[in-house]
Amino acid sequence: MSLFSALSVSASGMAAQRARAAVLVENIANSETTRTTEGGPYRRKDAIFSSEDVSSAFGSELDAQLGGEQLTGVKVSGISVDNTPPEKRYLPGHPDADADGYVSMPKVNPAEDMVDLMSANRSYQANVSAMSAVKDMIQKSIDLLR
Amino acid sequence: MIDSLTDSLEQYMNVVSLRQKLVTSNIANADTPGYKTQDLDFQASFQSALDGGAPQSAEVTGLATKNDGNNVDLDREARLLAENAMRFSAASNLMRSQLNTVKEAIQGGKSS
Amino acid sequence: MTAPISNIAPIALPQAIAPAAAASQSGEFQNVLSSAINSIESLRNSASDSVQKFLTGQNEELHTTVLATQKAELAFELGLQVRNKVVDAYQEIMKMQV
Repeated sequence: MSLFSALSVSASGMAAQRARAAVLVENIANSETTRTTEGGPYRRKDAIFSSEDVSSAFGSELDAQLGGEQLTGVKVSGISVDNTPPEKRYLPGHPDADADGYVSMPKVNPAEDMVDLMSANRSYQANVSAMSAVKDMIQKSIDLLR
Repeated sequence: MIDSLTDSLEQYMNVVSLRQKLVTSNIANADTPGYKTQDLDFQASFQSALDGGAPQSAEVTGLATKNDGNNVDLDREARLLAENAMRFSAASNLMRSQLNTVKEAIQGGKSS
Repeated sequence: MTAPISNIAPIALPQAIAPAAAASQSGEFQNVLSSAINSIESLRNSASDSVQKFLTGQNEELHTTVLATQKAELAFELGLQVRNKVVDAYQEIMKMQV
């Protein structure tokens, strides 16, 4: 376990941020989608993060069960879909307009999600740096054998 | 047989490793709602490790909390990441030099 | 008139002292030797345990394992060099013309 499990922690961070970025990109791409296969406008999605203990790939299951050292990683525990009533915009000539001329629009604010995407990128980079630093430390330990 | 210097260096490397593990957890959970930054008091943990005790991690106070309850400051964690890596590198280099010195002393300057 | 050589009693150490001296000297050295060998052995055992724990994925830091093996190696090397010196000294003594 030890420092190797720290690599798993950073890997979990990278995976979570990637999933978050994927969801944000989907929101941004569909910010004007008024017609989906399920009917109705695109519904905004959010990645839900939660902490999760990780053990190293080389760690023994028994050791983890015995309460050996557990490090806190992260995982996307779910994708929440925004099912609140959509926004309506008055566009009478629009093909998806209802009888009163209102179109149901996705509740996506592209600027907000863009900023969120940059934050996800920054967090992803931070996890990459962390993994690199830990890898160097492990290498230093190996170098003691020379 | 080896002197207390190598023991100190080994304990130092242990505490730095542990601190770095906490930093990676903080970075991975930088966006997890409700997560609180974890850290340890380095000198206190080091002294305790020299006496045979186990270092204790604790929540960090004085950090700004975001709306979702998360208080991870990525700049702080990035700084600690670099600092811990350098400390570990310094300790391991000192250790290597110490081990080489002892080896030279034993071999009396000739390689056998 | 000179007595024949065979009639001269040989010089002998007092019996009591000789074996005691030999025993205490060899006893001390023996103790030093066996305690050195024991500590080398125990260092090698802890190194071996540490490697085992690391390989089976138990909670063992890599640098702890590396350091344990280095210490065991140094102790062994020291023991080896001391043994070589002792053997050399012994051979020197054996070469002496008495």
